[in-house]
Amino acid sequence: MARKSRQVEVRLVAEYLKKEYSKFTFITKQPLGIVSEEYLKEFGWKKALGITRPFRPEVDAVVILPRYLLIIEAKVWSIVNGLAKLPLYKSLVPVTPELKQYMPREVIMELVVGWTNPNLEIMARDMGVRVKIYCPDWLGEVVDGMHKYWTREYRAERAKKLKMREYYNLE
Amino acid sequence: MVLENYVILETGVPARLHFTDHVIMRRTTTDPLTGEPTTRNVLVFEVDRLNGREVFAKYSIMAEKHAGQFKPYLDDKSYRDYDIIITKIGEGFRTSWSVQFIPRS
Repeated sequence: MARKSRQVEVRLVAEYLKKEYSKFTFITKQPLGIVSEEYLKEFGWKKALGITRPFRPEVDAVVILPRYLLIIEAKVWSIVNGLAKLPLYKSLVPVTPELKQYMPREVIMELVVGWTNPNLEIMARDMGVRVKIYCPDWLGEVVDGMHKYWTREYRAERAKKLKMREYYNLE
Repeated sequence: MVLENYVILETGVPARLHFTDHVIMRRTTTDPLTGEPTTRNVLVFEVDRLNGREVFAKYSIMAEKHAGQFKPYLDDKSYRDYDIIITKIGEGFRTSWSVQFIPRS
């Protein structure tokens, strides 16, 4: 099983953007939402950005298309979470100061996943989100590991590994 | 041309850069928490333009999550086809980097 700290989703979104949108301007890890006026007045732009950082969610990518602003969330593990976030993120786009220069544009949403299922498709359709599957070989390995995670064999293997770590005092 | 050794980003201030080449180096640094020396892979870009000025500088990335934003562009060096605006957000473990790729016409 791949560790989440391998930054799989960062790689996934970077590769996907290169493949699909390399001719357009795009932004990765864009914070969304307002920066408090009060903080701006008191601390200035730089410091206000830092203070409001925990309250501004980051969308994985924004692509500036001629008529649209496309927001992208890429998920490998919690794909429903990614889907649920997108409409909330969309509501913050019009008030995001960094994106003001690109407005007015209609905002569209895309969820990039390594795998999907029929229920995800139904929910996405209902929420107006496009689901795109992007699964290069390296991600296939990660997805495969994820699907095996709760199998008896995988659990046994994991328990053995943990025991060895404990035995060698690696924890 | 302005001579600068390394581009240092200020939190919250976007910097517009153009990269011409890169190298992945092993670098030994002192861990700020333990004070012990630690060896890490560092992605270092050669920078020829910084905020519209011609420069001869380097931009060095140690964080895996930041380096990952450039990974697909390394093999073919296609980062050369973009102007890249990087904004550092936050400090310490919560630091993230908003990276904008603008195709060069």
